[in-house]
Amino acid sequence: MSVIAPKFRLGYFLKSLTDNIFWIIVLLTLVGIPAIMIVLFFIDLPVLDGVLLTPFLAFTMMFHPELAVPVVKSLLYSDFFRIAAFPGFGFAALLAAGTIFAERKLLAKLQLRVGPFYCGKFEGILQLMADGLKLISKEIIIPAKADKPIFWTAPVLFVATAAAFVSLIPVAPGWVVADLDVGLLAVFAIIGFFPIITILSAWSANSKFPFIGGIRALHQMVSFEIPLILSLLGVVILTGTLNLSEIVESQSNYWFIAFLPIGAIVFFISMLAELERIPFDLPEAESEIVAGWLTEFSGMIYGLVQLGSYLKLYAFAALFVVLFLGGWQGPMVVPPFPAEIITHGIEAGPITVQVPGLPITTQEMLNGTLWFTLKTVAVIFFILIPRGVFPRIRIDMLLSIGWNKLIALAFINIFIALGLLYAGVLGPGGLL
Amino acid sequence: MSDSDTSIQETETKPVVENQQELPKFEKDHSDKITAKFGSKSEIAFVKPDRIRVNVKKEDILDVASFLRDELNYDHAESVTGVDFPADKEIEVVYHLGSYTDPQLSRQVLSLATRAPREDNPNPGNDSTKLPSLRDIFYSVEFHERECFEMLGVFFEGHPDNRRLLLPEDWADLPPLRKDFAIKGR
Amino acid sequence: MTARLPPGLQLEKVDDRIMTLNVGPQHPGSGHMRLIIKVDGDYIVSCDPDPGYVHRGEEKMAEYRNYITNIPHLERPVIHDSCNILYPYCLGVEELLGLEVPERAKYVRVIASELNRFTYTLYWLGIYGIFLGHSTMFMWPMGDREFAIDLLEKLTGARVTHSYFVPGGVRNDAPANFEDVCLRQINYLEKRLKTYADIFYDNPILIARTEKTGVLSREDAIRLGTTGTVLRASGVDYDVRTKEPYDVYDELDVHTNVLKNGDSYDRSKTPWLDMLESCNIIRQALEKMPKSGSVRVKLKPNPKGGNDEVYKRVESGRGSLGVYIVSRSKPEPYRVKLSVGSFRNLICMPYLLKGEKLGNMPAVYWSLNYWPVEADR
Repeated sequence: MSVIAPKFRLGYFLKSLTDNIFWIIVLLTLVGIPAIMIVLFFIDLPVLDGVLLTPFLAFTMMFHPELAVPVVKSLLYSDFFRIAAFPGFGFAALLAAGTIFAERKLLAKLQLRVGPFYCGKFEGILQLMADGLKLISKEIIIPAKADKPIFWTAPVLFVATAAAFVSLIPVAPGWVVADLDVGLLAVFAIIGFFPIITILSAWSANSKFPFIGGIRALHQMVSFEIPLILSLLGVVILTGTLNLSEIVESQSNYWFIAFLPIGAIVFFISMLAELERIPFDLPEAESEIVAGWLTEFSGMIYGLVQLGSYLKLYAFAALFVVLFLGGWQGPMVVPPFPAEIITHGIEAGPITVQVPGLPITTQEMLNGTLWFTLKTVAVIFFILIPRGVFPRIRIDMLLSIGWNKLIALAFINIFIALGLLYAGVLGPGGLL
Repeated sequence: MSDSDTSIQETETKPVVENQQELPKFEKDHSDKITAKFGSKSEIAFVKPDRIRVNVKKEDILDVASFLRDELNYDHAESVTGVDFPADKEIEVVYHLGSYTDPQLSRQVLSLATRAPREDNPNPGNDSTKLPSLRDIFYSVEFHERECFEMLGVFFEGHPDNRRLLLPEDWADLPPLRKDFAIKGR
Repeated sequence: MTARLPPGLQLEKVDDRIMTLNVGPQHPGSGHMRLIIKVDGDYIVSCDPDPGYVHRGEEKMAEYRNYITNIPHLERPVIHDSCNILYPYCLGVEELLGLEVPERAKYVRVIASELNRFTYTLYWLGIYGIFLGHSTMFMWPMGDREFAIDLLEKLTGARVTHSYFVPGGVRNDAPANFEDVCLRQINYLEKRLKTYADIFYDNPILIARTEKTGVLSREDAIRLGTTGTVLRASGVDYDVRTKEPYDVYDELDVHTNVLKNGDSYDRSKTPWLDMLESCNIIRQALEKMPKSGSVRVKLKPNPKGGNDEVYKRVESGRGSLGVYIVSRSKPEPYRVKLSVGSFRNLICMPYLLKGEKLGNMPAVYWSLNYWPVEADR
């Protein structure tokens, strides 16, 4: 039946025409109308000089170049930009992609190989794009007896939760997607979702190996949540606030890791367990249970799960930086914006161009972003290295670490923090 | 009795090896102990440097094996081989025994051979090709005897688990290592 | 229940509590065999090994080929350790036909046999690393193995399945500068082997995972008839190279490594120590080798053995490999039986895995130095 050019029949042609029209109308109504609603009601159009900037007006600014910079600046400070690009999804995805590439290269060099090499002119830098294209083009196979609604939604929920986690992290002063007064508590609430999503996706696959993997993931994540939370109590005691931006502000003179090293170590190990990184990658123990709870995912669903995993990695590393390493604090290395450009304009030969609205970004923002990125990259580097050095740990050893040793260390950490607070060394009214 | 037996031994070996002082002494002492205990029930097939072979009937094999394990310190079996002799209508099973504990026996491998009657239309497990299993004496022969069962059809009585090991579950043909099983195309 | 089952199938009652896992041939953690494991929670109740997926009938096919054409055929069970499988066969045929191997051929045989020990053990070590989740320990042995394979390619012409040993010597002589190249590469390989201690054998997670698991006591090791590194890790000092030396092993100084505890950690360490020992053996053999001489005895076409039988043993990577040849005055052998180390160690699997945790299964099972293809023949 593989006829490439069948004979023309009018009835079939009319049928296909009406089919296409039907589907176009359905898509327009189901997707287009909500999109228009979102744009109309939720995206705030900026106001310039008392005039609402409509898209029509934005196009006319081609004839008024002096309006270009304020328009861009207003877009930059809108909510939509924060969610989609910086410091939200775009920034996190870029760092996640960079992490995947750096991980493969780093592991390869450790293991005396080359890693991605052929894809892209410089040392295989486009390998990730090739992998993404490959995953998109693969068929999504769902087991016959799987629970289809949950099977489809679980990876999407996973990415959504990881993205929610990313939205709480402050990158530069004032640059955070969701500035909550109970930010740290929101982080714990979101982390609590991950075991549920894992066990749902494992259960819905209706197969033995995902089941074992899901149970192991559940055990692992639940048993390491408690040391995770306890280790952060030390930080909360010293700052007295749960707002992540204020926690960073209070580290302007010193970083918390200097006084709470045990807490930092406990948090780091619990972080490795929550992220299912080696040495804690039991839920995905390849040699024992094929691929654990990811066994039945294929194609783009697998791509979504990987994206979620690496977003989570970035978010946890960023959280570590915010809580223990001082967030965006660091010496000012960005030079101040030259003041003459604001007052006089840019001199290019005989012409002086006046560009109102400069500077687009502030000096603090650039400096903060720079230091934040450097510190996050350093923490991610330390997360990636154990992958090349350690074998996988066993489930009973893992549980004994999580429930016995780490909780004990976290309590010691809390006592140290309390001691420092009541001795008047740190905290409000303290020496530092 | 041992004297007459060794003299029978010497006359037996005379046509094979012209001068019997070429028989290695340690192995000769060894084989003499076996003939001393069992007399005509055991037949020493050959005595070579580091290799002795003893042929026994299937009724006596349990006694001989226990004697070898307890008195002569052979503690494990290296392999169990089945050889099909259709001309004699018999299947021979050879146990190669070795010793890890006795330093004098570390080079020796003793071949203990026994024969089972062979039928032309075998029904593995239910015909007359049966041998007593040596598993209670030498634990190490367990999987070797299973393989011998499936490859040649020799049923081992007393073996706890006479099952297929290497052949697929749906093999319904002759046991493969028999000489009547011809490989297709050769 | 009353219906007759086809032969070979069994009926089993399903228990509520016990789950049957097929660690089967399509599994990243099993090699090419199947383990039918019954699990109660996290503890293994019983393990039933099911080899036979790679059974090719080597022994039956050997009865249809004459002594010389059996050479490329009998080396297939372990393709990268092929010299060690052919070694006892060649020794046996030489005894049957009454051949005398020249001196240089004996030394070249020893060198090839020890190089094959490298290729096999490094492959096994790589798979052991990946079973435990240690990807670096998978990449390093595989990369270092290339040195040994490169040497074997210079010597024999093939990377694996060398078909190098023939009755009467070896097939061809070593190339001109082989001794220098071999010495250099063996020295480098020894340096690389010593770095494995830092990343693997002193790794605290590995020690915590493999120590005191799958303990095989000395008495059990002897009673079960184990061989090779499994035996030496349980405290029995038995190595065919020292107990029954063949070719020129009586002129070389071979030191056997015996470890006491008999757990998985010792069983994983003994092959590595054996490899370090092989470096010394190769260096000694390169020194003592006669610089020139013939390496092969000329054979008449279609040689026939008498009415005789022979059993010869050699120490391969897995343990003592014995070949039992029965000949009846024909160009083809009447029966060839390969008694391989993997098959002898197979009995340890149900014995050791009973009562173990499921997480320990890869560590214990692969530490038995089991090569599925060889056990199936």
